[in-house]
Amino acid sequence: MNGSVQFSRILIANRGEIAVRVIRACREMGIESVAVYSDADRRALHTSLADQALRIGPAAAVDSYLSIEAIFSAARRSGAQAIHPGYGFLSENAAFAAACRDAGLVFIGPPPEAIAQMGSKITARRLAQAAGVPVVPGETPTDQSDQAITAAAHRVGFPLLLKPSEGGGGIGMKTARDAAALAAAIAQSRREALAAFGDGTLYIERLIDRPRHVEFQILADHHGHVVHLFERECSIQRRHQKVIEECPSTALTPALRRRMGEAAVAVARKAGYRNAGTMEFLLEGTGDSARFYFLEMNARLQVEHPITEQVTGVDLVRAQIEIASGAPLAWAQDALAQRGHAIEVRVYAEDPAREYLPQAGPLLIYREPSMPGIRVDAGIVEGGEVTVHYDPLLAKVIASGDTREAARHRALAALRSYPILGIRTNTALLVALLEHERFISGDIDTGFLDAEGDVIRAGLSAEPPREIAAIAAAARAEGAFASGARRGPAPRGDDPWTSLGGLRV
Amino acid sequence: MSKPADDAPIDVVSLGNARYQVDAGTRRRVAFAVVAADTWVFLDGRVYVVPTGGASPARTSRADERGALTAPMPATVLAIHVTPGQTVQRNDVLIVLEAMKMELPIRAPRDGRVRTVACQPGELVQPGVTLLELDTEEA
Repeated sequence: MNGSVQFSRILIANRGEIAVRVIRACREMGIESVAVYSDADRRALHTSLADQALRIGPAAAVDSYLSIEAIFSAARRSGAQAIHPGYGFLSENAAFAAACRDAGLVFIGPPPEAIAQMGSKITARRLAQAAGVPVVPGETPTDQSDQAITAAAHRVGFPLLLKPSEGGGGIGMKTARDAAALAAAIAQSRREALAAFGDGTLYIERLIDRPRHVEFQILADHHGHVVHLFERECSIQRRHQKVIEECPSTALTPALRRRMGEAAVAVARKAGYRNAGTMEFLLEGTGDSARFYFLEMNARLQVEHPITEQVTGVDLVRAQIEIASGAPLAWAQDALAQRGHAIEVRVYAEDPAREYLPQAGPLLIYREPSMPGIRVDAGIVEGGEVTVHYDPLLAKVIASGDTREAARHRALAALRSYPILGIRTNTALLVALLEHERFISGDIDTGFLDAEGDVIRAGLSAEPPREIAAIAAAARAEGAFASGARRGPAPRGDDPWTSLGGLRV
Repeated sequence: MSKPADDAPIDVVSLGNARYQVDAGTRRRVAFAVVAADTWVFLDGRVYVVPTGGASPARTSRADERGALTAPMPATVLAIHVTPGQTVQRNDVLIVLEAMKMELPIRAPRDGRVRTVACQPGELVQPGVTLLELDTEEA
């Protein structure tokens, strides 16, 4: 972009696959990268890939990746001019972005004011409404008596959801399909809210039946230009954790896509937004008659950004760095187009057969697939260790093709050529999801995985075919022991994942 | 792809670097395998974990004598669904923990009555620390 990049050194205040992603972008742009690491990540991939790596503290994130002080100290020591926060950790911390500005460091992301506005769901909703963008009807009555909540429920309309206003993670969330079910739902939601959060204040929201989660990527520079880079369909999720994302969405028509894209840009303009961000919408129905509602804005790069990159050809991390350096956007809206289809599947260290219990342990074998149309964004290497300290996302497999079916077949082929041994992962679940008839037909909504998950997971445990015993015997005969592993069975008590005070959970 | 006959001989040859060539009848595939406390095998896109000792896996539940339930890893207590004295049934969710940004339900290993709840919502708990004690319910 006109050679306008001014940074010679960028510190990446993150770990795992996203730190690796940013390091690679820096390398391509001729910028030195500075990694930071906790004691748990001394030998992590991001630590070894960067041009410089600085220790920032012990394993606990609060003392390392979440410590503004530790990050600033590393920035000073390294002489970095800018900080890329990745996602999670400090990426949406307005105080951190403000402190960067005060310290004369460029925060590669939105201004602190925009982060603060978008960090509050209430402010973000008001902004969207001011921009003329619909939001899901809802309110938090100041008077929390049963009568006042009932009156508010009738204003919002049925079916509706009662949510603890202090809550998260779906706890205390209750559905009332009609007025008759309301009294019981209020009592139950309030009781659970009090027990879990010590605050019984309830928020009432219209329930959108079988909604899709469709989000729009936007980019905004410091010269008043805002563009959107189309949608990402993220309806395959469980408890708000996305599992599979794709672009384009099977639910959008060109007219609906244009309307939603314009809405995303309007909200970004209203917020004075800069850099990369994502507008999340709930979509009710499909096609031209579908209705969409602004949900929230994510003031950062998203985990699933690669599918947008594959379909638009825009390198979003590079664009973030260029925007932060003051360069104008390289594209007008009408120069951007979607080409082909991309599907991302997230490989998690978790055991779907045991309530998705997170897994920690050694990566004895880790071999990434390499084939046409496949990109793997990962933060791990064979011989590495997955610890309990951080998020269980191991890698993302991004499959691209001319059509949705081509991308789907490539994703399946890649997952089937992707041995990860030593810890359990969700790859068999991903294969089953990609082969599910509802996924194939595009008939998905945010309730899909919760509704179908039990049946899908039950089908995952297969009897080993008779080849397995022969292969295992050959491996043992050859002495193919993992380095560091004892010969013969190890005591089981040292594995925190198989026991819970002696009792499996 | 044709399935090999059940009695077709299986021939496994090491290719080095944890790779194995598997011939069963006329069908040839490459598997990956590594031996640790368990033996891990990757074949046809699936992972199989078999006990290295060859014996059946020692994975049956052992009841803690005190009936204490502990955290399996450092975690935050998200919610407590029971109170002392409450009768619970096997598999009831008693406590929900959060670790690695994931919810972990702690379930009752058997029928019983809650004796004590030793944690609070929002509390950070360490592995091995007792969260709750369960008495066996007399019939």
